[in-house]
Amino acid sequence: MAFSDIENSEKLEIINIAIVENQEFKDNKIFQEAFEELSDENSEDRLFDTKYVTEEEAKKLLQDDEIVGYMILEEKPRVIFQSNGINETIFKYVTEEIVQNTEIVGNLAKDEIEKEMMRGNYHLDYEKIYKNVLEMVQEQEVRIENVSNSNLSYTMIEFYTLIAMACLYGGILGMVAINQNLANMSHNGKRVSVAPISKAKMVLSSVLAGYVAQMIGLAILFVYTIFVLKVDYGSNLPLIILLGAVGSLAGLSMGLAIGTVVKTNEGVKTGIVISVTMLGCFLSGMMGITMKYIVDKNIPIVNKINPASMITDGFYSLYYYNTLNRYYFNIVSLLLFAIIMIMISYHSLRRQTYDSI
Amino acid sequence: MKPDAYDIKAKLGVVFQDVAVFEELTVQDNIDYFCGLYIKDKKKRKQYINEAIELVGLEEFRKFYPKQLSGGLLRRLNIACGIAHKPTLIFLDEPTVAVDPQSRNNILDGIKKLRDNGATIVYTTHYMEEVEMICDRVIILDKGKVLASGTTDELKELAKIEEKVTVEVNNLDSKYIETIRKMQQVEDVDYRGNILLVTYKKGENNLVELMEYLKKEEIQYNKIYSERPTLNDVFLELTGKELRD
Repeated sequence: MAFSDIENSEKLEIINIAIVENQEFKDNKIFQEAFEELSDENSEDRLFDTKYVTEEEAKKLLQDDEIVGYMILEEKPRVIFQSNGINETIFKYVTEEIVQNTEIVGNLAKDEIEKEMMRGNYHLDYEKIYKNVLEMVQEQEVRIENVSNSNLSYTMIEFYTLIAMACLYGGILGMVAINQNLANMSHNGKRVSVAPISKAKMVLSSVLAGYVAQMIGLAILFVYTIFVLKVDYGSNLPLIILLGAVGSLAGLSMGLAIGTVVKTNEGVKTGIVISVTMLGCFLSGMMGITMKYIVDKNIPIVNKINPASMITDGFYSLYYYNTLNRYYFNIVSLLLFAIIMIMISYHSLRRQTYDSI
Repeated sequence: MKPDAYDIKAKLGVVFQDVAVFEELTVQDNIDYFCGLYIKDKKKRKQYINEAIELVGLEEFRKFYPKQLSGGLLRRLNIACGIAHKPTLIFLDEPTVAVDPQSRNNILDGIKKLRDNGATIVYTTHYMEEVEMICDRVIILDKGKVLASGTTDELKELAKIEEKVTVEVNNLDSKYIETIRKMQQVEDVDYRGNILLVTYKKGENNLVELMEYLKKEEIQYNKIYSERPTLNDVFLELTGKELRD
């Protein structure tokens, strides 16, 4: 029960930021209204304490550690930090989200104008259309709020990376499943290889059994975190479970690929699966959320192909974004990763023959 | 054989040198699993499993897990897993390595039953007494090459020796050994401890001749007996006595 109240003790703090109030910002209503709303003192979902200043003032505030960073809206928004951390990451992601939604507003406004014109209405009140679209988007998408009705916490993020790690450890089951069917890897594999049954069928059934075992393990993990640790996943639980299930498939397929491609004993293969999983989780922020941001910023390709990052990013996206686009992007990425791993395994398995067993 | 030669594979049974069973399954479940790779009919499989368990004498250990079994029982389970589906051609790779005499006896009896039931058995072993007990035809392989093949009697005829005489004698002087070595038909003389082993190439009355010599020289001995060469002698004769990897 030590963790039962952990959520309440670590609610997300309000982040001090500054915005350079240049002409571009003054002309951009979406940015203005988004940051106003996110800085609303009366809102329960308040995320920022925003100061509107000149660039020089912003620099000084940053030097004096009074803010975590500041944004300058030019052709594209620039976010300037002094250090890397979760608050800086949130500020950056929010800014990126507003940019995305600006495009959405532009497209929606264009659609609305086209619709009006098709109806024969050529006397358009552009400002009204734009305002309506903005209000619509603000209500549904732009607002950065906690859609699960519970606050995001550092502990929650730790849980997500741990769930990601649990998913990827399914790789060991995948690796064992394949080893049990390879004549040069296990004694049981020898028996299977002399039996009148197709290797593909055997591997598939073993992998399915491994997946079922992984799902049972994941279910136990969720039951434990919900009922023993009293973790509140909010209304996103079904989506979190779906992500866990797809993540487990990715982990299992990774183990499958390592099991078939790497020609060494089971102990070394297990070590490789664990190392890859740990490294992936580390790079996706398990030992500190800052790492995820550093990798995203400097070598983004790493986390694009890192299944642990796909899983944790999927979890983050449920809380940082009001839309599920990024979540589904991660789901699709994980499925693609799993398909590629399975294809590598299939290709490697097909070529295996034995002189003697 | 191609990997998808299922018709041929269905008739094969292989018992590997290493025990290949699932630690998580009981004796019965292990046999059921491996038999299930060949026999889909549940009723038929159940009957086959019972027969396999009976053949290797594991009736009392059906619900035991492999880690609860002794080395001999494990070997018997290993055999049951390989032959439960009633194959017509069975390969057994040193199935009696490191087992107690009772288990070995049980395993060899089981193999004889399989043979009596009509299966052809290819049995690999280094134990020549087992070969003499159960094999109809023998092939001696060394470094991948066939050195000899035939029945045990045919193989024994290949050996240069025809008779071995063993004498239990204390403190035999080397001059007597040299004299015996020079006798007609003597192939080799070995004196270790108090055992004198004289190997003869061919001929008759070797035992009488040796006894007469010992009497003439007034050498006291406790025991003396003659025997035919074993398959082990043939094996050593054909493959040499130097140590192998």
